[in-house]
Amino acid sequence: MNRATLTLLALLLICALSLVAAQQRARKLFIAQERAQIEERKLNQEWLRLEYEQRNLSKSARIRDVARNQLHMVPISPERTLYLKEAQ
Amino acid sequence: MRPVGFSTTPNLVLRLPMWRSRLMLFLLFFVFMMLLLRAFWIQGPGNAFYEAKGVRGTQRELELPASRGKILDRNGQVIATSLEAKSIIAYNDTVPDDLAADKVQKLASLLQISESELRKKLKDERKQIFLKRQVDPEIAQQIKQLEIPGIGLNNEYRRFYPDGEAMAHVVGFTNVNDKGQEGMELSREKELAAHPGQRRVVVDRLGRVVEDVAIEQLPQNGKDLQLSIDSKIQYLAYNAVKSAVEQHHAKAGGAVVLDTQTGEILALANYPSYNPNDRRNLSGEQLRNRVLTDTFEPGSTIKPLTISIALEKGAVTPNTNMVIGASYLVGPKPITDTHPYGNLTVAQVIQKSSNIGTAKIAMNNLSPEEMWDFYTAVGLGQAPKIGFPGAVAGTVHPFNKWMPTDQARIAFGYGISASLFQVARAYTVFARDGELVPLTIERSPEVKQGTRVLSAKTAIEMREMMETVTEPGGTAVKAQTEGYRVGGKTGTAHKLVGKGYGNSYRAYFAGLAPISAPRIVVAVMIDEPTGGSHYGGDVAAPVFSTIVGETLRTLNVLPDNKVKQMVLDDKSPAEIRTANVQTQHVALKR
Repeated sequence: MNRATLTLLALLLICALSLVAAQQRARKLFIAQERAQIEERKLNQEWLRLEYEQRNLSKSARIRDVARNQLHMVPISPERTLYLKEAQ
Repeated sequence: MRPVGFSTTPNLVLRLPMWRSRLMLFLLFFVFMMLLLRAFWIQGPGNAFYEAKGVRGTQRELELPASRGKILDRNGQVIATSLEAKSIIAYNDTVPDDLAADKVQKLASLLQISESELRKKLKDERKQIFLKRQVDPEIAQQIKQLEIPGIGLNNEYRRFYPDGEAMAHVVGFTNVNDKGQEGMELSREKELAAHPGQRRVVVDRLGRVVEDVAIEQLPQNGKDLQLSIDSKIQYLAYNAVKSAVEQHHAKAGGAVVLDTQTGEILALANYPSYNPNDRRNLSGEQLRNRVLTDTFEPGSTIKPLTISIALEKGAVTPNTNMVIGASYLVGPKPITDTHPYGNLTVAQVIQKSSNIGTAKIAMNNLSPEEMWDFYTAVGLGQAPKIGFPGAVAGTVHPFNKWMPTDQARIAFGYGISASLFQVARAYTVFARDGELVPLTIERSPEVKQGTRVLSAKTAIEMREMMETVTEPGGTAVKAQTEGYRVGGKTGTAHKLVGKGYGNSYRAYFAGLAPISAPRIVVAVMIDEPTGGSHYGGDVAAPVFSTIVGETLRTLNVLPDNKVKQMVLDDKSPAEIRTANVQTQHVALKR
């Protein structure tokens, strides 16, 4: 065996090992990406749910109920309203 | 003779024929060739079958979920949204027959069905059966924790409508498969619908995803839809209609609020309504969007339109004096008024809602063709193009078929039909100084160009006449709104029952506000009020007043009427401003 063959063999071995390593890394990254995607979906859902919840808590029916019954507020009427005009 | 050994006797020499070994050789060669061919076939052209087998073992198709678009109101508030839910599936050949009783009991209570019903479902012949759909994720998690073999969870979506009844007729609802069934959910199904994607992955022995093979279809979320509806105004309109229907023991009611500048529909309320979050027990009565799908004889609400034609022609002016009298005979039956009037000006004909006056103006000055042209120009007899399912056109019969008696009655709103929505739309002509505005239910806040159908002069004159309707002496004093000048027209129409007019009525009020610079058109209809009065001025006008007042305040429209205003601007001298603020404090302390 001459030197050229030996060098090539070594190169081949290095390539083979780095291929294995790269594949391993690809798998790991893929799993991480997969997890991140699931997380993203979850957060998206969570956001939608919170948006819905916020809307539910801020809907007119509830505001009216709370204002009238808990805070004892009354509807505004024009003669008790002060209108401010923007400076021209 | 040469001696021959026993073992070498030529008689014992077997001479095998040559062909037998050849045959053997050939057969062996042939079989090996066959094997080779087969191997070649499996490796090459016939590979697909085995590849498919291999793929089935290691690859899976996974769905990439996509959600249906949200529906938002004009301020970006959610009025319909899809949240994740689970469907509970039983794979009946996997569910053990001797399932522990306590597990069945727990599952039944989580699914909110009876134990016997659940057992029946589990005994079902079908291999897989939905136990329940659209289950709350938390409950689904508890079901999963029971760890019953053969009970699986599937992802799906459930639609939520935070505004419930108030918005039901506008948004509509979807079915369990997330397909629109009514309202905007149905008419905008194409844009709202979600298109789930699909991807192919490699899984390991335990079913975990190891590698992506390909994304076969990208998931496409549905587009969000922003409506012109203002959920606050919608809510208050719905409440106003609801309380009026209850107060007058009426059958139903509806109201519509239009923005005259942008042509946007701000509210579209109907009562009775339904809860779109709970789609059981829905009946046709509740589902009807009366504002758009019910046509009725518009009655007196059409008088301003008829008289506008005469004003536009210059045939009459608001001050033209007319002899009214107790009855007016056109055709077989005389036309009468609720109260007999002697003489009225044209303005008073509107103010008092005189049938005779309107009929006389029409008969003396207008041709059927002119009337037909105008009614058609303001949208009567044509379905409004706002992309709503089931919006009706109403009827305006061809003018060449009108007999004089028809013409006289059509002039004050009998013998033609329209939906409340069409009446409201026609009234935008008066609000926009003679222009008919194209309407939309999607948010588009820019001021729209209208189609001119009347001169500004006529429209303004009519607006002022309509204001007198709400002033003392008019038919709808109850339409007065604190802080704002309003105008409109009452309507009380006998309902057609079979072939004739029965004893039930519809009360309407259609109008606009504020008169000085109209911002909104509001039309209200109460169907079959029975408690006490059935007149539009008594039943529908107060609803109009409530809606107008609250809507204009919501829209921050400055009051324009006689109520003492306290407007502060930087031009007011300082002492007046402080004085005003003090008055205000006093007022607030009261």
